[in-house]
Amino acid sequence: MCTGRLDPAIVAKAFKKGLDGLLVVGCYFGDCHYISGNYQAQAKIEMTRRLFEHIGVNPQRLAFKQCSSGEAAVFVEIVNTFDATIRELGPLGGDGDAVRNPALSEKLATAEAVLAGEKMRWVIGKKTPFTTSGNMYGEIFTEHEFNRAIDMIIVEETEVQEILGQLRQKALSVAELAGSLAIPPARIFRYVTALKRKGFVALEGISGRSPKYKLISQEVS
Amino acid sequence: MPENHASDIRIGVFICHCGSNIAGYLDMEALADFAETRPHVVFVQRNLYTCSESGINEIKKGIQEQDLNRVVVASCTPRTHEPLFRSSCAEAGLNPYLFEMVNIRDQCSWVHMQEKTDATEKARELIGMGIAKAALLQPQEIILSEVQTRALVIGGGIAGLTASLSLARRGYEVVVVEKDQALGGMLNHLYKLGPQMQAAKELAAETVQKVNAHPKITVFTRAHVTQVKGFIGKFEVTVETQSGAKKIDIGIIIVATGAQPLVPEGLYGYDGKRTVTQFQLETMLAKGLDAAVRHVVMIQCVGSRNDERPFCAKICCQTAVKNAILIRRQYPETKVSILYRDMQMYGVENEAMFRDSKAAGVRYINYDPADPPQVKADKVGVYHPLLGRKMELAADLVVLSTPLLAREDAHETSQLLRVPVNENGFFLEGHVKLKPLDFATDGIFLCGSARFPANIREAVAQGLGAAARASIPLSKGSVEVEPIISVLADEDACRGCGLCVALCPYGALEVRQTEKGRKVHVINVACKGCGICAATCYQHALSINSFTDRQIEAQIDAFLTVHP
Repeated sequence: MCTGRLDPAIVAKAFKKGLDGLLVVGCYFGDCHYISGNYQAQAKIEMTRRLFEHIGVNPQRLAFKQCSSGEAAVFVEIVNTFDATIRELGPLGGDGDAVRNPALSEKLATAEAVLAGEKMRWVIGKKTPFTTSGNMYGEIFTEHEFNRAIDMIIVEETEVQEILGQLRQKALSVAELAGSLAIPPARIFRYVTALKRKGFVALEGISGRSPKYKLISQEVS
Repeated sequence: MPENHASDIRIGVFICHCGSNIAGYLDMEALADFAETRPHVVFVQRNLYTCSESGINEIKKGIQEQDLNRVVVASCTPRTHEPLFRSSCAEAGLNPYLFEMVNIRDQCSWVHMQEKTDATEKARELIGMGIAKAALLQPQEIILSEVQTRALVIGGGIAGLTASLSLARRGYEVVVVEKDQALGGMLNHLYKLGPQMQAAKELAAETVQKVNAHPKITVFTRAHVTQVKGFIGKFEVTVETQSGAKKIDIGIIIVATGAQPLVPEGLYGYDGKRTVTQFQLETMLAKGLDAAVRHVVMIQCVGSRNDERPFCAKICCQTAVKNAILIRRQYPETKVSILYRDMQMYGVENEAMFRDSKAAGVRYINYDPADPPQVKADKVGVYHPLLGRKMELAADLVVLSTPLLAREDAHETSQLLRVPVNENGFFLEGHVKLKPLDFATDGIFLCGSARFPANIREAVAQGLGAAARASIPLSKGSVEVEPIISVLADEDACRGCGLCVALCPYGALEVRQTEKGRKVHVINVACKGCGICAATCYQHALSINSFTDRQIEAQIDAFLTVHP
């Protein structure tokens, strides 16, 4: 197995279950037994760190480092440095993080859904072609442009998953969602319309003058 | 394969003392007590050496008498001992993939010799994780695949031709693809080969003649490989030949594409006439040196061991020494000086050649790369560190020792075959010591200067070696593939989007049209089980045998809960 096997959704889940730090050590680029697995691992961890920062987990809790199997001293240094960092941050959801427990646990559940979802996984899977050979229009992204796009998708995907999380509990109107999630109603409306079109939510009924939306449970076969 | 009912899982845990390697640093009793408390564990035993005959017998006895259906051994490294323990399980009638190994020696007792309490705690976590995973292991069957007994050799230089002859003599069909007009490669341009001073042309002619005469070898010159599909035993190769494209079924591939000498444009006044490379000197020597040449100065490490090309090409020193000896013997009136940084004359015979050169009157002067030699109109200026002053050497001919570089098209070949090149553009072997002539991808081998600059003898030795390695799957006629690979665990979920296909480093995935629509198909023999596909699939349709999401999560859960 390779660091490329590392599934970011499982990473978020592990933090939700109480992990305080995760260090991923892979081979040097060009030296990977599995050829390109370490590139994948790095892209996935980098994206997860950005998402963590967005939801309020200190991104230092997650690291991707490289060393070869012949570099014992380098490995020890990497582990000791990371260990010291995590000890200083303390347990997850404490002083070291922007968001505290128990709110953080909910945020991590959202993060897991984002990381398991289609959009993030497509974008990360396409990172190498996007930044080297270009997209289907031949546009090549710089690392900076790619990261900016990732950050935008992180914001959107998190909000979408938060809406789905709220609707999972009960049907709500746009105004109610906007109130509980502190997102402008216009944005909520846009998300809900898109979710409706994709068949994730449906109109449940009208309460007063505002329509209420409910979650359509997805057939997971 | 139906999963065992949870209550039917019976795990046996064998904890190895490894003499005192483990027991000397960990609290073994605490580990055994801990293992007994874990779910599904019905049998725990400590062994002095689990890998000894008595240890192995204990495992077998446990499987038979205790009715164990999962075995965990906590001991050393799976690199050396997993095959042994797996086969012990198999001998006792248990599927070998229902075995899980936990490393509490190399990754625990050996690195935490001073911290018994913490190290024991870590070992508990590791064992707990191993047991948790073992409970979810599923039996797997080894995959067998047929091997087409025809070899493709890319490159008709001495390494490729030697490999081809060796394979053909073993009775296998060989297809040689050479992009030049003639076979022989670099040999065609060399004069005499050190240290025996054999004529290069003779060796080339003799080898090419043998290759052309061999009924099992088909040679395509001015041809190149344009497409490679498939995997070990079943490659489908397209070769563009002079008479059009040909599709050939191939079992194994040997890459012997060689290297090319650096042309030192702009270095030391290189002009190809008065200042030439060692490579050009070979041709000049074959024709005979101009009588006017009385003073030859050779400069080593030209264009190598610098920031742009940090590597030492390793064979330029012996080439320079050999050519210096040849000049001194044929033209005793001509003086030869070699300006060097360090002499790389590895091996007994090269060392002897170095001594001979000094006896033959070749002069050596060390130079500092910070203060390199100055090539002037008829002289070369250099700082002589022993004399402690600048001196000027007369020079009718300046010979630059430039490194062999990776071929410009090496990158193309690497993409065609999906094999890696290193930072210098040379092909990267599977393991520098353990698999020097194999690629990480099964069924593809490499030899000669495509791997790293090699002299003729090394190229020949590597050609023979690559042929020997390639003969293993060819002679077996089939390959066994480790079943720890990707599987389409949830066919309905797969949308056939092809994201995984694009990411697979081994070309082991393809989208096929099925009754249920477009679905991904795993080519078992090509898959190495890296897991990129499973970690990427947004439909979570792909999984990796013995590294499933559930198994990994169970390990995480165990890690997070074993703490007291």
